[in-house]
Amino acid sequence: MVLEGVTDFKGKVLVIDDEAVIREGCKKVLSKEGWEVLLASDGEKGLEMCEEVDVVLLDLKMPGPSGMDVLEELLKRDPSLPIIVITGYATVDSAVEAMKKGAYDFIPKPFTPDQLRLVVQRAYEKRWLEKETERLRQEAERTLQDVAREKGRLMTVIECMADGVLLTDHQSRIALLNPAATRLLGIREREGIIGKPLWEVLEAKQLREAIEEALSSEMSKVISQEIKKNDLWIRAHTASVKDLQGHNMGTVTVLEDLSHLLELERMRNEFVGMVSHELRAPLSAIEQMINVVLMKEDLGEKERNFLTRAKERIKGLMDLINKLLEVSRIEAGMAIQRREPLDLKEVVQRVVDLLQGEAINKGLTLSLELPQDPLPPILGDPQGLEGVFVNLLSNAIKYTPNGGKITVSIGLEGDYLRVSVSDTGVGIPKEDLPKIFDKFYRVRTRETRQVIGTGLGLAIVKGIVEAHLGKIEVESEVGKGSTFTVYLPKRV
Amino acid sequence: MARIFLVDDDPDFVEATAAILERKGHEVIKLYDGDECLEKLKEIRPDLIVLDVMMPRLDGYKVCKKLKADAQYRSIPVLLLTAVASHIPTTRYTQLQGMEIEAEDYIDKPVEPEELVKRVEILLSRSWS
Repeated sequence: MVLEGVTDFKGKVLVIDDEAVIREGCKKVLSKEGWEVLLASDGEKGLEMCEEVDVVLLDLKMPGPSGMDVLEELLKRDPSLPIIVITGYATVDSAVEAMKKGAYDFIPKPFTPDQLRLVVQRAYEKRWLEKETERLRQEAERTLQDVAREKGRLMTVIECMADGVLLTDHQSRIALLNPAATRLLGIREREGIIGKPLWEVLEAKQLREAIEEALSSEMSKVISQEIKKNDLWIRAHTASVKDLQGHNMGTVTVLEDLSHLLELERMRNEFVGMVSHELRAPLSAIEQMINVVLMKEDLGEKERNFLTRAKERIKGLMDLINKLLEVSRIEAGMAIQRREPLDLKEVVQRVVDLLQGEAINKGLTLSLELPQDPLPPILGDPQGLEGVFVNLLSNAIKYTPNGGKITVSIGLEGDYLRVSVSDTGVGIPKEDLPKIFDKFYRVRTRETRQVIGTGLGLAIVKGIVEAHLGKIEVESEVGKGSTFTVYLPKRV
Repeated sequence: MARIFLVDDDPDFVEATAAILERKGHEVIKLYDGDECLEKLKEIRPDLIVLDVMMPRLDGYKVCKKLKADAQYRSIPVLLLTAVASHIPTTRYTQLQGMEIEAEDYIDKPVEPEELVKRVEILLSRSWS
């Protein structure tokens, strides 16, 4: 048998023989085959050259150290080294002895080149096979070790996770439960829990139902839900685990601990309350003191003017604080404080009435166009929505010059109720349009420089509208006017 | 003229607001928190209490609730100073509803002197008639 890949790759052969004729003969034959051949005239020299040799041809009868001693020494250094013993015709006995000591094969003198080629080739193949086998064995061992290590590592990761992990089999028996899950689910005893049916250990009914649902579902889907219990607030994601045929093997549930968010929320509220008081109280005091001074009748025109302006700046600051608080509320996902069925017409009417005076003062016409038919109610926060329209209408009043027109109209559009606020004001430059709903963004032109504002109004408007699952759009042309349109989903 | 309790935790605000009321000839007794107000009531009976809602410890809502639950003080009119945001029309209504307290009137901070004086006078004339 000639192994593939082996014939092409010849190794190193060391010939140890005191007869130069044999040495040179071997070299001649084997070199032609592609072997690298090293020659040694006695055992001592041979031992010096035997490193990284693949096959050794060893004469047993040599002067100096006997062939048998050299054989033993070679095998001591490399037990798997194939050694072919060269024996005289009459000394088969010693060949047998050498084989007993670990020689691989023997070749009696005189031998033909073919015999030599064959025996060396065979020895080399044996050597190669042994090496390959060893390599494969090591590789397999390493793979097994890796698997074991990987499994251990994975378990360690799961055990150490801050999120809870719960695995069940297809009969909703517990297959795995990490310490975080034990804690989050309020399970006292983790010992011996594996294999127990879920209903025996799990109090949370919501979660049991989700696991049952995942198990009975043909489709792969993740069921996410929030579970609140006492001080604990958990978000649970449950999914079924399927085998290659798509059968449910069990479920995996990941439990996220959201309790710290409750604490954060409480701290945030405290902070907001503190800030609003600590910022507003000194401003109120300053304003009141200015008021007292303003009551003096013999105040000069210039002083009175300064104090009046100081008061206006304080009002601006108050407004900024209020709006900042509102933005922080919206960003905390609390744009809506309550939801109730509302008649949008009433809400808008109230706001138009409220701001009618302001519009008239500025010499503007403010009109409201209502549809003939009654509108379906929407579900919303009345204060929030009033805030939206107060903001939009105040803006229209602010940015529309004397003699202009502001039109508010309401209508039904598909599944949405639409409220448009149109003005004949200064308009918004095209490049500013995409940014006007950003926080603190204000359009800076000659016309708007004198207008006091915080740059937060429209960000608040957008936040509230989106919290109602609505949307807001804007169309504008510089010098002609702007139209803001709010769409709110009608109540289903 | 009337005797008024003015209760707010900010001394400068109290000082300035008192000056406004004193200009109208009222006697203003300056108090700096809810407990002080309740304590002072044992000594002097005012014609009106102007009470800030945002105060540390015993806030204005709680003080008002206590007064209105007490037969002895129930008839003293209370004007609450609220610090609620913006000019939303329903704010007033919801606030009253939410407070569930029987303050006679309230006024948003910042307080305009004319408005304060007017409301104080209305409350006083109502309780005197």
